[in-house]
Amino acid sequence: MGSTRRTLVLFLVLSFAHLLLMSVQMQARSGVPLFQAGAFGVFAGIQRVMAGISDGGRSVWANYIALRGVAAENDVLQKRVLSLEGQVQTQAAIVSQTRALEQLLTLQQSLVAPTLAARVIAGDPAPGAFVITIDRGSADGVEPNMAVLGHAGVIGRVINRPTARAAQVQLLIGHNAGAGGVTETSEAVGVVKGGAGDPPLEMAYVDLLKDVQVGERVLTSGLDGIFPRGFVIGTIERVVKGSGVYREIAVRPAVNFSNIHVVLVMLARPARAEGGS
Amino acid sequence: MKFGRVLLTVLVALTLQMALARYAVGGRWVFDLVLVAVVYGAVLWGPAAGMWIGTIGGLMQDALSENVIGVGGFAKTVVGFGVGVLGEQFMVARPLARAGAVAAATVVHRLIVVGLWAIADQDWRGVAWTAMLMETSLNATAGLAAFHLTQMLPGAVRHTREGRRSPLSRRRW
Repeated sequence: MGSTRRTLVLFLVLSFAHLLLMSVQMQARSGVPLFQAGAFGVFAGIQRVMAGISDGGRSVWANYIALRGVAAENDVLQKRVLSLEGQVQTQAAIVSQTRALEQLLTLQQSLVAPTLAARVIAGDPAPGAFVITIDRGSADGVEPNMAVLGHAGVIGRVINRPTARAAQVQLLIGHNAGAGGVTETSEAVGVVKGGAGDPPLEMAYVDLLKDVQVGERVLTSGLDGIFPRGFVIGTIERVVKGSGVYREIAVRPAVNFSNIHVVLVMLARPARAEGGS
Repeated sequence: MKFGRVLLTVLVALTLQMALARYAVGGRWVFDLVLVAVVYGAVLWGPAAGMWIGTIGGLMQDALSENVIGVGGFAKTVVGFGVGVLGEQFMVARPLARAGAVAAATVVHRLIVVGLWAIADQDWRGVAWTAMLMETSLNATAGLAAFHLTQMLPGAVRHTREGRRSPLSRRRW
């Protein structure tokens, strides 16, 4: 009987403490930085070791055991490298022409920020959090709000204060995530937000008068001051005439978020575009 | 209740959760191994252990994600208490019954979390039923495996010890 009462009292005390903790944050919305930083610091170290072990196992499997068909794949890749080298040279020529034109027109040069490759060492700590941990931190120059990209497009941004060797990245498909977006052809500007279900992105605040088409690509607008202009966010999958003055647009992300192992962190933040907010 | 056991359970569950979720970020494979640990502790060691695993594990998850700190902790504390109390009232000894407890706990936990998010954000995000079904199935499977392994482990260790031949010096001739 005494034990039951003690358990009940413990339950009430713990529940009350949680409710108090939540209510404090809902007022201040500042969180508990020390607790967050401490928890993240401890688990980043553990996850680095775990990722090392699992990557080691995968590496042994991929490099020594599962080598069937590698020669054929090598041939295909060599051809692809040749083709890509040609494309890189073409792009380099276009960049130099553009620079020359910018100089001629005395425009501010569009800076390409340096990037840093990072390995994903941990996934969602809780289902639906859409936060990953990467193995680069403040010692590598990573700061909060830096853009994180994948080979196919935008992945998210760095959140919270990174530790020396690890940082947390909020994925664009998360509930509280967003980025300034612009459609490629119709040039309709809006805000791309996560947590929309299927597909997981929605583009909000797009003017009804803009002729947005299904299949059109959505790029970053650069207006948010985090993501540089021109990176692919996704493709428009559904356009609905909303109830207000805006369209409701569903966007399928370009990045396959269920298969992220390596990301690129943009080490410099883009200059905020003129007129942006 | 031994507190070291509780901390170790939380640590193992959270480490496994983050290590495995690395291969399923943003995908359809949704699971919560900390919740499985809460039910595991509540069934095997009682409501107090379940509550402590829920409180510590939930708070750690909240701190590591972008959630309001306390949402996961509260939901898991309630689940730990509920499963622990029910586990004392009813026999939950069979692995399938325990997996069923994990499944029921997953549904209750998800509904509490969604409700608290709605209050915190002043916005009803809705319940993603497909994701919840996936989470329920995977958690129940993980729970089944965890309970089965712990049942098998003492027997396996004893069997190995018995099967091991004693050194020559101790052997009777």
